[in-house]
Order: sequence, then C-alpha cells, then structure tokens
Amino acid sequence: MKPLFKTIGAFPALAGLAVIVLLFLLPRFVENTYALHIMILVFISIVMGSSWNLLGGYTGQYSVGHSAYFGMGAYTTMLLMQYRQVPPWLGIWGGMAVALLVALIIGSICFRLRGPYFVLASIAVAEIFRVSALNLKELTNGAEGVLATDIPPLKIGGTLITDFSSKVPFYYTGLVFVLLVILVTWLIQNSKLGYCFQAIREDQDAAHSLGISLTFYKNVALSLSAVLTSLAGSLYAVYVGFIDPSTVLALDLSVQIVLICIIGGIGTIFGPVIGALVLVPLSEALRSNVIGESLINSGVVSADSAFGSFLTENLSHAHVLIYGVLVVVVILFMPDGVLGFAKKLAAGKRKEAAW
Amino acid sequence: MIIFMQSLISGILVGGVYALIGIGMTIIFGVMRVINFAHGDLLMLGMYGTFYLFTLFNIDPFISIVVIIPLMFLYGGFLQKVFINRILGTLPQNQILLTIGLGLVMSNSVMLAFTSDYKILSTSYSSSSFDILGISISTPLLISFAITAVITAALYWFLLKTDTGQAIRATAQDREAAQLMGINVKRMSIIAFGLGASLAGAAGALISPTYYIFPQVGSTFTLKAFVITVLGGMGSIVGATLGGILIGVAESIGGVYFGAGWKEVVVFVLFLLVLLFKPSGLMGKSNV
Amino acid sequence: MFKKIQVTALALILAVPVTAHAAKVKIGFVNSITGPEAPIGENLTNGVTLALEDLKKKGIDVELVREDDTGKPEKSMAAFEKMATRDKVAGIVGPYSSKCANAIAKLAEKYKTPLLIPVASKEEITRQNLKWTFRLSATTYDYATILLDMATGLGKPKTIAIINENTDFGTSGAKSAKDYAGKKGIRVVAEEAYAPGSPDYRSILTKIKSKNPDLVFMVSYVADAILLMRQSREIGLTPQAFLGAGAGFATVAFAKEKAISNDVFSSTQWTGDVNWPGAKEFNRRYIAKFGKEPTYHAATAYESMMIMAETAAKAGDNRDKLRFALKSGSWNGIMGEVKFADYEGYTNQNKHQMLVEQIQNGVHQTVYPPKYVSKKPVYPFPGWR
Repeated sequence: MKPLFKTIGAFPALAGLAVIVLLFLLPRFVENTYALHIMILVFISIVMGSSWNLLGGYTGQYSVGHSAYFGMGAYTTMLLMQYRQVPPWLGIWGGMAVALLVALIIGSICFRLRGPYFVLASIAVAEIFRVSALNLKELTNGAEGVLATDIPPLKIGGTLITDFSSKVPFYYTGLVFVLLVILVTWLIQNSKLGYCFQAIREDQDAAHSLGISLTFYKNVALSLSAVLTSLAGSLYAVYVGFIDPSTVLALDLSVQIVLICIIGGIGTIFGPVIGALVLVPLSEALRSNVIGESLINSGVVSADSAFGSFLTENLSHAHVLIYGVLVVVVILFMPDGVLGFAKKLAAGKRKEAAW
Repeated sequence: MIIFMQSLISGILVGGVYALIGIGMTIIFGVMRVINFAHGDLLMLGMYGTFYLFTLFNIDPFISIVVIIPLMFLYGGFLQKVFINRILGTLPQNQILLTIGLGLVMSNSVMLAFTSDYKILSTSYSSSSFDILGISISTPLLISFAITAVITAALYWFLLKTDTGQAIRATAQDREAAQLMGINVKRMSIIAFGLGASLAGAAGALISPTYYIFPQVGSTFTLKAFVITVLGGMGSIVGATLGGILIGVAESIGGVYFGAGWKEVVVFVLFLLVLLFKPSGLMGKSNV
Repeated sequence: MFKKIQVTALALILAVPVTAHAAKVKIGFVNSITGPEAPIGENLTNGVTLALEDLKKKGIDVELVREDDTGKPEKSMAAFEKMATRDKVAGIVGPYSSKCANAIAKLAEKYKTPLLIPVASKEEITRQNLKWTFRLSATTYDYATILLDMATGLGKPKTIAIINENTDFGTSGAKSAKDYAGKKGIRVVAEEAYAPGSPDYRSILTKIKSKNPDLVFMVSYVADAILLMRQSREIGLTPQAFLGAGAGFATVAFAKEKAISNDVFSSTQWTGDVNWPGAKEFNRRYIAKFGKEPTYHAATAYESMMIMAETAAKAGDNRDKLRFALKSGSWNGIMGEVKFADYEGYTNQNKHQMLVEQIQNGVHQTVYPPKYVSKKPVYPFPGWR
C-alpha cells in the first residue's frame, strides 16, 4: 500500500478504493439485468484493451491480430466445457496455455518485422487462425460454432456458490479480471520490465545497444498480453454461450481492441478503461436508438421534422459510422486519447493559473 | 491437366485486376510510407460509381473508367490534403489507424446511403465466355486484363518520361533529398494519393461486371493489396504487377488443390514466407 | 319478426365487445436491421408491417418494440433482455439469423418469455428441450431432403456434387445434403466449401465438371449464386439438375438473370403462388406496398407476428397462458397449417411443409410437391442456350 500512496497520493488511492468497493456492492442495489449486461461488456472490453495496451501501448508493437488470442481463449474454454465437461474455471487455464503457445509461435514469426510490417504480419496470422478454425470442422465445428448447453455449477466443498443462471457471477468474474489486468499494468509500469518495454517503444535500436534483449522482452510483452486477452475471450464465450469464427476470430474484433485502447489513451493504465466506458455504452445507445429517442423526447428535435425522422430511422444504423468518425477525430486531434487530451487541458489550466 | 490450365488462366486474368489494386497501394506507400487501410474502400467507391453510371445513364463499365479515374483522383487528393497530410510525420501506427477510420467512414456512409443490398451489374456480356482448347475464358475478365495492361503501361510511361512522374519517383526514393532539390513533396504526396485512389477506383470499375457490389466489399481487397505490395516489394510497380498475377494464380490453383476454403490461407502463408525470407519482396527496394 | 329482432340484438351484443375494445398487446421484434444480413432483415420488417395492418383490422392493437441485433448474438441477447425485462412485452418474434436465434433461445427459458422464431433454420435451436421457444419454419435438414426427394422422384441420379459457402447456413446445408444423399443411395463425388466473397469459382467448377455429377447441390446467398451459375455456364457444367438450397437461389434478383438462372431448382419455405390461404393475396399486397416481391422470410415474419399477437390478445397479460396457447393452438394461414409439436427430438417445432420452385423464363414457379403446384418441373437440365 505504501508505494501506492507514494506514487499517486493518498486521495486518489482512497477514491480508487471507494470505487472498487462500490463496484463490488453494485449487484446488490442494481437488479436490472440489462445494466449488469452492459457492465459485463464494459469489463470484457477493458480487459481486451488493457491486455493489448501492454504490447501496443507500452512496448510499441501494434498488433492488429489480437483476435487470435481472444478466439483461442474462447474456443479452448468452450470446447473443453462442451465436449470434455471441464468446468470453465479450470478451462480458462487451458485457454491461457493455448494463448501462450500461440503467442510464442506468432512472436517468433512476427517480431523480426518492424512497424507497419509487424502490423500486417499480425493481421495475416490472425486471419490464418480464423480460416483454419472455419475449415477444421472436426475440431471446432466450423462455421456452425459452439453452443454452450450447460454450465456446471460452481461448488466449493459441497456448498453451491452459483449455478450461473443469473448474470451476477459473470459480473464478479469480469470485475476480478479487470482488477487483475489493471494491477498487472500498474506493476509493469513501475518495474524494470516496464522500463525495458518503453525503451523498446521509444527506440528499438537504442534499446538494443543498451543491452536490452529485444526478442526476450517483446515476447514477454506479447505473452502477457495474449494470456490476459484469452481471459476476456473465455469470459465472453461462457457468458454469451455461443461462439463462431466470425465473432471471436474476426479482423473487426482486432480493430475494436485497438480502438478501445487508442480512444482512451494508449500507454496509460486507465486509458483502456476510459476507452471501454466510451465505446460500449455509445455502441449500445446507438444500436437501441436511445440517443435519437432522447433527442426527440427532450424536445430538441421535433419527431415530425425531416431531421427527426432521419434520426429515428437511421441513427441506429450509423453506429459503426460514428466509430469511424470517432477514430478519425481522435487520431487527428487527440492522438493521446481522451485521457491524454484531458491531461493536456488540465495542464493548460494549471499554466493559466500560474499566470 | 485441363483443370490445372483452367485454374492457371483464370488466376492470371483475375490477377490482372489484383495487380491494379496493388500498384495503387504501392505508389502510396512508396511516396508517403503510409499503409492505406482504406484502399479497398476506394475500390468499393469505384464500384458504386460504375454501378450508378451504368444503371442511371447506361454507360458501360469499361467505358466509365474514363469518368471514374479523374473523379477518384480528385477524391484521393482531397483525402490526402485534408486528413492524411496532418499525420505524415507521426507514428506509422497512427497513420494506419487514421486510414482504418477513414475506411470505416466510407464504407458505412455508403451503407447508409445505398443500403447493404448486394448489387449486381449485369451487362450483356457478363456471362459470355469463349473456348480455347477446352479452356473457357471469361470475356469480361479478358477485357479487364487488357485494359489493366494499358493502364499499367500508361502509368509506367508517366513515371519514367514525364517531369511530374520523375518527381514522384524521386520523392519515393528519398523524401528529404527530393525536397532539397526543390521538389514540392507535399504536392507529390497529394498526387500520389490521388493516383493510388484512381487506380483503386479503376480496378473497382473493371471487376464490377464479374463481381458483386456491397459496402463492405473493400476489406478483402485491402488485405490482398497488402500481400501483393509486400510480395512485389513496397514501392515497386513492376513488383506489384507481378505480385498481383502471382497472387491471382496462387489463389486459383491453391483453391483447386487444397480445397476452396483454404484459398485465403494459401495467400497469407505465402505472405508470411515472403515477409520472413525476402521482406523486400521480389523487386525489393525499401528497407523493412 | 320477433326472431329477426332477437338475431339482430344478439349480433349487436356480440359485435360490441369486438369493436368497442381493441385488444392491446405489446410484442417485441428483434431483427437484423443493420449489418451484413440487413437486406434479408428488411423482408422480415416488411412482413411484420403488413401483419400489424391486418391485426388492426381484426381489432388487435399491437404496440411493437423493435430492436436491431446487427446480426450479432450478444446484441440479440441484449435486445431480448431489454424487451423481456424493461419493456415487459408479452412475447417476442424473431430474430433472423440462426446464430442469434440460438443465443436467445436459452434466454426465453430464463426470462419465461415466449419466443417465436420465424425463419432461422439451424436444427439445434429446437432440439434443446426448451419450453418457451417456438419455431415456425422448417429446419436446414428439410431444405436438403425435399430437393433430393424431388430429384429421385423425377429421375435416377446416382452422383451428387455439393458446393457451399462456409458459413453456418452453408455448412449445415451441406451436411444435411450429404447425410440424406447417403440415405437415398446417391454417391457424393465432390464437396467444396468456399469462403464467400471471392470472384472466381472456375477452378472449383472445373474440378466438379471433371467428376461428372448427376446433381449439383449448392448452398449460397444471392451474389455467389449468380457468380456460381455464370461460371458454371462458362465452363459448360451440365448436370441433370442444379439444386439450390434456399437463400440466394430463391430470390427475384437471381431469377432475373435469365441467361443463367433458367431451370434451376430451389427449396424454399414459401412461394408467392402456393395455394395456402391468403398466400397469393399477401404476395400481391407486398408488391403493391413495397415495390418488390416478398421472400419467404417476409411470409414467415408475417405469420409469426399474426400468431403471436392474436394469441397474446386472447391470453391477456399472462405469459404462461400465452405459452400454453401457443403450444396447444393451430393455425392455417399464408404459411399453410401451423402446429407446434414435439417430435423426433424437436420441441415446439412446426412441421412445416417445404416447397420446391424452379425458375422458368426468369420467374419462380412452384413445382413440388404436386399437391401445391402451379407448374410442372423441367427435368433433366436441358443444357445451356
């Protein structure tokens, strides 16, 4: 605790603790399953984004093929559960092992490449996994996907903890994963490992000349990143109950993972959190036309006007379009993400105050 | 034997169009070192343009290239000037993300405007083919191949013989040196992006009689374009041409002998092999 | 005279409740409004629109809660949750795709909300002993069996080549075809699964042509269907029959490509000229209102909404009653006879009669089974013109 207080000050630490406690207590007060659902999606997104952050944000290796790890986690856990009756809390270890293996293979192929070539190679590899999953029907059931019919109940020494019929166990699992990932990120950031990562990000050759083994550290970063991403994949799979190559191994997913991190603020601990908090509710709000409806209900826009009817009919179709616009805006005007932009504003205000 | 020859010929013809896409991307990369993730979406715009010219004004797709090329050139230049130029100096990763964002905006705007209905462009000769020694050759594909050859030749002439063309090549070779020599590199970037866009648009126009049109059609082509450019050597036009045809053939033959489902994997494995063993590509010029 | 007064009075008394109180029901409708399946989703939306009109005429006022799942299972689940818990609908109709349907079938059980699936065809969905999920349409298996039944009735095919896109629908369609062909004693000489979105099938088709199959069985959506047939013509593939399992081959867009669509068979859940009550009228109305022909998706969505809303009106606000009424009821509308039954491992599955159409001169004609047809099938394939 002491180093925590020292690095970020007493107040933020206490505030952070309060938030964590509140999050743990949340399901007691909020029974609305829809709200819980959104929170679970947010948690999964945070884990995805933060895991990517370790490799992309801190080590500067932009992989746009992270769906491979997500998918490996998802498939391993699901297949073990469905066909070998392995309960998911054991299955996720299998998922992590597979993801680690895949990461080491991918690392050995791709890390000789730099910058944009690395990006392209990561995409190619992820696509190979996706198509393979599609074609290796005996193993993965191909395009038909894997459906979870029964999740074994979690018992500790005879007492039933949960039978997974409600969302609450998934909520807590997600929350624990989020805390885990944030803890790992925080530990790395202030450790020698983190310094090496960031050195590689800033200038690979300089780092190398200082004696930092590029291969070793890049692979460590990728391995950590892959294993944590696979946790997100496993959770998603068991929660949604259905996976197929086009949902868990898709290029779209890889892009989304990168976006979560970029929009929030790459290379920071809480960037992906912000990114997830922005993207998930936005996507859901657009999809269910909440924005359009509230604009009309609040009287800002008349339902009968041309703009009004355009909103009701088309806004929900436009959520991916808005993603794209968001990305363009963030890259052009807020390359350090929302978090970076906020910091700049705060710094600007302090400067003014100093005058 | 017939099966092999059939797949070889079909692969070469389709490869011609792929080559055009690859050339466009390689020019953009060569001059600006930007990897254009929206390249396939530029092709998609070319397809939609051709489609509407055909359905509204009855202009044959192969003729509409005359309109599509200049329009896409202007559009590409606009994109470069307004968006891409701003991030030229920054992290390549940011550039990639910007082009991804632009691509998303393009494909989704089209979806909003024209719905995701698949559109088929049927000309009188869309289904025609002729037979040579037991191998059937698709008429529209043959025509696209011929036109691609003409465009590539014209492009080559432009880059070798004209002042602007040589300026572009100079910028691609060494941006700073070119600037020192008095070349307006900003303008070269705009022209390069415009060229790349117009080639992508032209490719879209050329395959529209044999393909189908929908807003997300761009993504498969973007990936293929990458593979082609890397295979041929980033920045090399001859490389991209050869790369395109090679990929077309690899896909076609791979599809026959490994099963149609593994076609894409053949292409990607080839891609990785090139990246690992000869990263500068067949005609390699740039550093990895 | 007195009797007349009595009869009139009785009629008035009976009429008053119906006209004075329009029954109000709240029904949820989840569909792929945007996303890759949007073009087909549109048919479902339109079918439901027509259903709402007809329900109004019958005195049933439907408050429809619409949700878009963009074709993604998790969004479908979010939508279901919202409609079942926040909007408190009586029952839910939809979704479109099998992927999404599978994901929300379990939610129906969890939230005890009746779910009526119009057209998702994956067998598994109603093979999980779920009491709250009902399906109107026939399953993927039936898409294949009816085509092979017809073919073996019209000729003596011995070999079959299967081409399918490697999506969920395509893969299960191919599996069903392979399975049933085996049962019918037809040998599978080629099986090619392709990734949708590649322009060139010539090599696959050449490979297939060299095996000389009697039947060519295809599962594709519209765009690939057109390209496949164009290229089949190019390389001169001429089996005894081209069998298209639903999706792409049943659409008008495909039929219009006369040079390549002629004499192709496709299995479908519904056609515009089948003689089920109200089917032809529905077809006419749809064309008049939306300017194009309905696909079977539209018909299934229409009938699903009709069934759900009418039953909900009778069951009042009680979901249990609604479920019971759906289970025990029977209907006969534009989709023919409907009864949700448990059989052969299926629960709440309607034994829907599939149909086979053949494209003759650019128009789909129902040609099988003979009981419901308007035209005779052309078999074998007469060759390319």
